[in-house]
Amino acid sequence: MKPVLLWSDALIFLLVVVLVIFFYRLRRDPQTRERWGDVFSSRLGMVTFTVIMTYVGIALADSVHFRKALENPEGLQTEEVFYDNKVTSLLDVMLRGMGERFERTYSAPFALNSFEKENMKDANGNAVRDFPPLMHAGQHLTDPSGQFGDIVSKSLQALLWGLLISALLLAPQWLLLRHSQYPWHASWVVQVGVICFFTWLVMISEYYHVLGTDQGGADVAYQSIKGVRTGVLLGTLSTLIMLPIAVTLGVSAGYFKGWVDDVVQYLYTTLSSIPGILLIAASVLLFQVYIDLNPDFFSIGMEKADARFIALCFILGVTSWSSLCRLIRAETLKISQLGYVQAAHAFGVSHVRILSRHILPNVVHIILITFVLDFSSLILAEAVLSYIGVGIDPSMGSWGNMINGARSELSREPVIWWTLSGALFFMFVLVLAANLFSDLVRDAFDPRTASRRSEA
Amino acid sequence: MSAARDIRMQVENLRVVLADSGDEILKGVSLELEAGKIFALVGESGSGKSVTSMAAMRLLPDALEITEGAVHVGEQDLFSLSESQMQTVRGRRVAMIFQNAMTALNPVQTVGKQVAETLKLHTTLRGDALRQRVVQLFDEVGIPDPAQRFTFFPHQLSGGQQQRVMIAMALACEPEILIADEPTTALDVTIQEQVLELIRELTRSRKLAVLLITHDMGVVRNTADEVAVMYRGEIIERADVETFFHNPKQAYSQRLIDALPDLTHFQSAAVEEALLQLDDVKVHFPVRKGVLQRVVDVTRAVDGVSLKIGRGETYALVGESGSGKSTLGRAILNLEPVAGGTVRFNGELIQQLGRKEMLPYRKQIQVIFQNPFSSMNPRMTVGEIIAEGMVSLGLGLSPQQRQARIGELLTRVQLGPEFATRYPHEFSGGQLQRIAVARALAVNPDLIICDEPTSALDVSIRAEVLDLLRELQQEFGVSYLFITHDLSIIPSIAHHVGVMQYGKIVEQGSAQQILTRPQHPYTQALLNSVPRIDP
Amino acid sequence: MLAYIIRRLIYAIPILVGVNLLTFTLFFVVNSPDDMAASQLGDKYVTPEAIQAWKVKNGYDKPLFINSESEGLQSVTDTIFFNKSLRLFAFDFGRSESGRDITTDVSTRMWPSLAVALPSFVIGIWVNICVALMVVMFHATRLDRWAVFLFVSLMSISYLFYIIGGQYLVAKTWKLVPVSGFHSEGDVWRFLILPVLVGVIAGIGSGARWYRTLFLEEANQDYVRTARAKGASEMKILFGHILPNAMIPILTGVVVLIPSLFMGSLLIESFFGIPGLGSYMLDAIKSQDFAIVRSMVFIGSILYIFGLILTDISYTWADPRVRLN
Repeated sequence: MKPVLLWSDALIFLLVVVLVIFFYRLRRDPQTRERWGDVFSSRLGMVTFTVIMTYVGIALADSVHFRKALENPEGLQTEEVFYDNKVTSLLDVMLRGMGERFERTYSAPFALNSFEKENMKDANGNAVRDFPPLMHAGQHLTDPSGQFGDIVSKSLQALLWGLLISALLLAPQWLLLRHSQYPWHASWVVQVGVICFFTWLVMISEYYHVLGTDQGGADVAYQSIKGVRTGVLLGTLSTLIMLPIAVTLGVSAGYFKGWVDDVVQYLYTTLSSIPGILLIAASVLLFQVYIDLNPDFFSIGMEKADARFIALCFILGVTSWSSLCRLIRAETLKISQLGYVQAAHAFGVSHVRILSRHILPNVVHIILITFVLDFSSLILAEAVLSYIGVGIDPSMGSWGNMINGARSELSREPVIWWTLSGALFFMFVLVLAANLFSDLVRDAFDPRTASRRSEA
Repeated sequence: MSAARDIRMQVENLRVVLADSGDEILKGVSLELEAGKIFALVGESGSGKSVTSMAAMRLLPDALEITEGAVHVGEQDLFSLSESQMQTVRGRRVAMIFQNAMTALNPVQTVGKQVAETLKLHTTLRGDALRQRVVQLFDEVGIPDPAQRFTFFPHQLSGGQQQRVMIAMALACEPEILIADEPTTALDVTIQEQVLELIRELTRSRKLAVLLITHDMGVVRNTADEVAVMYRGEIIERADVETFFHNPKQAYSQRLIDALPDLTHFQSAAVEEALLQLDDVKVHFPVRKGVLQRVVDVTRAVDGVSLKIGRGETYALVGESGSGKSTLGRAILNLEPVAGGTVRFNGELIQQLGRKEMLPYRKQIQVIFQNPFSSMNPRMTVGEIIAEGMVSLGLGLSPQQRQARIGELLTRVQLGPEFATRYPHEFSGGQLQRIAVARALAVNPDLIICDEPTSALDVSIRAEVLDLLRELQQEFGVSYLFITHDLSIIPSIAHHVGVMQYGKIVEQGSAQQILTRPQHPYTQALLNSVPRIDP
Repeated sequence: MLAYIIRRLIYAIPILVGVNLLTFTLFFVVNSPDDMAASQLGDKYVTPEAIQAWKVKNGYDKPLFINSESEGLQSVTDTIFFNKSLRLFAFDFGRSESGRDITTDVSTRMWPSLAVALPSFVIGIWVNICVALMVVMFHATRLDRWAVFLFVSLMSISYLFYIIGGQYLVAKTWKLVPVSGFHSEGDVWRFLILPVLVGVIAGIGSGARWYRTLFLEEANQDYVRTARAKGASEMKILFGHILPNAMIPILTGVVVLIPSLFMGSLLIESFFGIPGLGSYMLDAIKSQDFAIVRSMVFIGSILYIFGLILTDISYTWADPRVRLN
């Protein structure tokens, strides 16, 4: 085994470290703690957070990449180890080869035969045109009519395993947190559900294609899960790239005013006057030209796709800072007028110190709200961009690419609905959880809604 | 007198709780409003006086719940009415006016229409007759050019006129009862007096039963017939106004009364050398116009002010909002550029010094702001807040010494060292203002600019802060420039007074001289509106 | 007012210059004309001669900013920047890489775009406001909470799903209207109904939720309490006081978009085969026709700036407190 560290892997783990430190530091401040308490004391907050964390967990597991060592070809005796050109992730291992069971083309969920007729020979050697049996579904069945009973019994078995694993994972949590003031039980219910679902999916996938296969014969359930990493990474990395630009410019415009303010305002008016999608499309296309003209920079195909992915994050980040910048500028203008900044001036406190001690900590809530709000809209945007052809590299799994590929399938007869549904379902659950969670975060942190609550 | 009482509204044993927690906000409040009389409900913020009136009119927010009690207007039991029946009572039989007329009026509707709406809701007046009635009402409440003002939007009227519009709106349908919730609090003192006079007059002429809700004992003294003091959701004392002021039963009532100015005792003036001297100081804000936004004119916020503050002395700068008094304070602190004149501190010119050159003076001139809640960074502990000045001005203390000093200061302002690790939101306004005093004292200043330090505080707390400031002055010999709109606190703190209007000082002199023998008509007007207890 | 508008128009010039510089940098500096020629010609035909010929044909054979070989004014005008970017200021869009006249294309294609975008916009706002008002009437009840949940769920569905689902259900299964297509005379409405419907429904989630917040914010203002104290009914308060006041923030968010309606919607137009500017842009992106993209960026920014000015003007109309100067 040879570990592979893609740029995006490095960034995502860096991001996790940064976030952990950020939240740890925030804990010091009792008001922030109290507000997070508000978010998590609701059951909805717990549930949505657990769902988001599940997605993040999948994304992280899918970010540990390596190349498998190949067995030496027969007859060849050498010390040198050859590695597979295909990059595998920890998630692939956890899914127990779900992604390696390819069919020839479309097949419906739980189907035993392919979706399209092919020429083949029957038992007597006559050429017939029929639906060929699938290579990785129902091989263990002797009689196809027993399929339903088989699915039920296998599901029950998987469910038992799921409950067992849940019990093992939840027991320590229960011991630690049973006296907590927060509604952890809501989270546990979701955790049990998630664990059972994935145990079931992995176990049953060894015998059937739960969500069928797509045109290339790839397992749709597997592809939908692989889309998680792309979505989560895009949603977090783009915001992370945008934050320093927006915060620096917004805070300096609001604090120093004068010509700094003029310049920053000019910059964001100019940027926001360009139709966003055109700017993104143009930038992505230009970067693609660059990749195409310099193929030597990337040793394996995945690195090329990864480079394009990171470029997309950068482009999304660099083109979207203007609205946050505007918000922070306005808030900074407001804070600069407040007594405590005036008092700091009267104490001769330096600009750097005023910015870092007085201004920044008091605009953090805006940054936080933007971070959670943008997360879901970026995931939705990815699908649209991939559809237009300026999104994720088609070789990299993403929901947008799945939808793009499935565009014409609904007009077929009979309808092929599973590719689209798989992608849309996985995307919808994450976006919904993120949106609901961001509502709670905003309610807790936005001074306007917070003050309304305390008045009442 | 009891036989002939003409009761218009009766509130009985009203109880209100917070819906979430069940905490009692009102603990059984009863009162009666009599025709032609003004009943004053007095209390500090959070005492439940506004909740009483809103509950009586069934206008409480969803978070509050009425659990017990009854309200009768005449024969009608308000709590048994349907919501639509209730709507015929509001505005028709019982009218209300609120504290801040600027926000209480709909900003995008003309004032004429807003008054007309009340009439439309409860009468059959329409068209020209409606308009004429509104104009007539405007005339009655003393709005100049009433026909023309009909089409004005609220922001085009002055604060006093806005409150008059509110009153016209309330009186439009000839109600029997008027509930006035802090009707004059947001107004300048001279306007305040005019509005109260209008309410008094209308009470008599229209035989209104008035519930006047206020925190200001001066307003009560000058206006009310009967007083009830509210404290933590209960009426703790009730009496007619004469008895109440001469013979209060409760210690708390006595404290409220004591907050009224005593215009017989003054601080003796004792000026030695001048610590701060202003000569013809001007602060201008540019006015820009036209395509190129050229500066065509300036607003003269401070227009040639000269004054002198001696060591260990308090100079009170009095004026109404917009008179330029706060701008002057900021200019002395070098937070606002000075357009002309000289600012001398200890004989040295300090205006237009750069950030670095100003640093040594920052140690000597400190400031306390009006709003204690916004003058402290909510994300710093009290200890960090107090330490900030010591650190940035380089007092040369070790961390241990600094901690010790913070503890000392907190003890000195009657809080105690254990408060250093707490955050501002855990404190009340009065406590925060004491922390602000400690913060200013931390760098051993010679002069503290106090910008309305007590106006956001309840009256009973106001006195404590003022006492503290006076004690500290005696102890450390620090001077104050005390910026205020409230003449009533002057006798207890100031040695010298300057009265400011439109950026100029119209009159200055010793406190006694200004308060007892004012020369300028503006000073006289200000002084006339200050309530006092006649001995 | 007039002085204000003139000033805003003058401010627009540096912004447009900035837009131009930015796109120019992207298109000609990051990605040189040689690269462009290479990708337009296709791998097989890339020879230095072919590239040169393509550059001459499309006018990319000049220096970027300063032409040192020319004299006087020519040294500035005979450059790519002048010919390709500054000419846009005169609304001279030139020809696309495939040789079509962009000005003609834009002027014929903006009408179909508008035909879809304008009804979606107007009906969308109207529907969102109505839905939000209804929800606000039931504020703080269970209905309100479920409505908000529903809005968030609607928001969380990908726009692509609305289009695909709408086409599948309305056009394919129920066969009420054609799946896609457009022609400019006769029963054009049959082609417009579905895209407009999809546009409106897809916007309800975020729109209604936003308006609900605005209305609730206004409902907490003091003047609403005054209106209640007058004896006004909840309906009168909602329509007579809250709605006119909430129009102010609604206008800021909405008016700025009006000019941009000409640009159409990329997704709707491409899915429904409407020959508008949206699908024009999409085709340009897919065929990497930078001449069109550049022109559309320029048009888009002009419309946006125009929208900003329009927003300010609409303020004076909705809010008597605002005077422009």
